[in-house]
Amino acid sequence: MKERQWMFATIALILGGMLAIQFETTNNPIVRDTRDLYELRADLEKEKQRQQELNEELERYNALLDNYKGNGKEEKIVAMEEALADLKKQAGLTTVSGQGIVITIEPFNDELIGVDRPKPKIEPDMLRRLVNELNRYDAKEISIGDQRIISKTPVREVNGVIYINNEPISSFPIEIKVLAKNNEKLQQKIIASPAVEEFVRENFNVESTPKSKVILPAYEKPVRVKFMKPVKEGT
Amino acid sequence: MWLPVLGLLLGLLLGFMSDIRVPPEYANYLSIAVLAALDTLFGGIRASLQGSFEDKVFITGFFFNILLAAGLAYLGVHLGIDLYLAAIFAFGVRLFNNIAVIRRLLISKWTDSRKKA
Repeated sequence: MKERQWMFATIALILGGMLAIQFETTNNPIVRDTRDLYELRADLEKEKQRQQELNEELERYNALLDNYKGNGKEEKIVAMEEALADLKKQAGLTTVSGQGIVITIEPFNDELIGVDRPKPKIEPDMLRRLVNELNRYDAKEISIGDQRIISKTPVREVNGVIYINNEPISSFPIEIKVLAKNNEKLQQKIIASPAVEEFVRENFNVESTPKSKVILPAYEKPVRVKFMKPVKEGT
Repeated sequence: MWLPVLGLLLGLLLGFMSDIRVPPEYANYLSIAVLAALDTLFGGIRASLQGSFEDKVFITGFFFNILLAAGLAYLGVHLGIDLYLAAIFAFGVRLFNNIAVIRRLLISKWTDSRKKA
């Protein structure tokens, strides 16, 4: 009888091992790394860059921390005010200016070619795509028709009118102001961008001009944070 | 009674700790082998409850069933027929039968012991 127990135990052990392996295999299967040498190098480069960025960030925060810790109440307050101003600038709550480009969008003048077509209409998707593309081309700050684009800006259409930041965008031409470090390059890229082509296809005339000074308005409404929570200390 | 349960737990623990994973191509075979092993185990429990347990049959059945099931699946892959379905069907049905028989045996044992008491 005892022998039989041991036999069952051995078989159960093997079965348990098989079950566990099967469970592991189905839940997190082996993913083969199929990158070749060049892809590996590119990935390595990317990670290095990331590391550098993180290090820089760390340094910045350490400097900030030192400032906070610095002697004297005055200094602390100054440091905090600086940090607050910096954060406000990052969040788009201040007016900013600098070199950039101005893009104007207006319907193509049909009278010039003598045809009678219905007025073209802007879809919010087109604007969203344009904003995404501008961001991809290293745009620093964007505003559309005097509405600053921040990370939470909605672009919607209500009854045929485009609303940005819940404010209707008044009539044509729509002016998009973009801040960029290298405005000439951004303009070149924007001329050839698919988002602008989309506008042209919908019979809009898109013009972009680089300017040495562009002024972008601040985001004026309160920023409501719904889903973010502060990170607990020590995690 | 507790030894097999302990063995099962130990096996699970070892399997999880060892972090062995099967390549996805072979995951099918392993799943069928697991099914065959389960079937053999429950068959063994039933046989021992019915008093017709033979250790040679049990041990050879365990390994032979696993190999047969995996071999059938392998053959099926190469013939383009889903032969592993046959193994799943056979083992599945037997598993249910065995468990049903075990349940009945346990219930009758239990009622007998209550009558005596």
